Amino acid sequence: MRRQTIVQGEHAVIAEPDVVVTTILGSCVSVCLYDPERRMGGMNHFLLPQPVGGSLRGIADPQRYGIHAMEVLINALMARGAERSRMRAHCYGGAQVVAGLGEIGAENVAFARHFLATEGIAVAHEDLGGRHARRVEFMPYLGRSRCLAVREAAPLANVRVPVPVPERAGELELFG
Amino acid sequence: MPGAAAIKVMIVDDQASMRAMIRRALQDFGFVHVRDKGCPKEALADIKQDRVHLIISDFNMPELDGLQLLEAVRKDPVIGKTVFIMLTGSADREVVQKAAALGVNNYLVKPFAPAALKEKIERVFGALT
Repeated sequence: MRRQTIVQGEHAVIAEPDVVVTTILGSCVSVCLYDPERRMGGMNHFLLPQPVGGSLRGIADPQRYGIHAMEVLINALMARGAERSRMRAHCYGGAQVVAGLGEIGAENVAFARHFLATEGIAVAHEDLGGRHARRVEFMPYLGRSRCLAVREAAPLANVRVPVPVPERAGELELFG
Repeated sequence: MPGAAAIKVMIVDDQASMRAMIRRALQDFGFVHVRDKGCPKEALADIKQDRVHLIISDFNMPELDGLQLLEAVRKDPVIGKTVFIMLTGSADREVVQKAAALGVNNYLVKPFAPAALKEKIERVFGALT
């Protein structure tokens, strides 16, 4: 099984079996989208919902915004033959891991839910909010994902940090 | 300078969320006559029936992309001079060059802050009042 790890501002589209896409999330959100008929899918990882007011909040990488990360992922899937009308979503992240980050996690959660509802994409599963970081594993070919709670406080997804060892207890496996 | 309320706009983007975001921004700027379509072909038919002053269109769309829509607009004897602002992805330098050759009035790289959209519109229409 090949593992492909993404960090914030990245995405991956996979149509091959035996590939797991993984990421670590704090207040960030990842949306796993898949087309069960084409047996393909992809995952993104965004930091903020969208630019506001007159600035991009000083963020250079456009895929760190959900509004762009979602479009890039959907377009990448469609370019490889996925149909928007068949897409289903698993959503993870949006935690308030550390006090002082404000409502970024909640904003990301609200954005993801609103975006998917607006686009008419069914949410097959979500594990959003809360106070703990998450490690997400997504098998696009199967449309399956699982989320492992990361109990240590360090792994904020907003910075590149060494990947902590996830706690196996509380593991959830889905069959989307 | 025309007031924003006098400018009719058509937003074309296959993503409903992006259309909604642009619509909200335009309304904040004082625009009143704002229509939107997810399908470029439908948008083209619609603006031929009821002309607009400004088209804000995504590039990356299925069936008909933004360049093809721009070309179709420019070739039309009635709506050919409609102001056209293209939305592109960050890596679409080639698209911008092709759009310029086809007569695009301005372009905006996604994701953009609402103020950036206003600035692009004002570069074409002058200060919005």
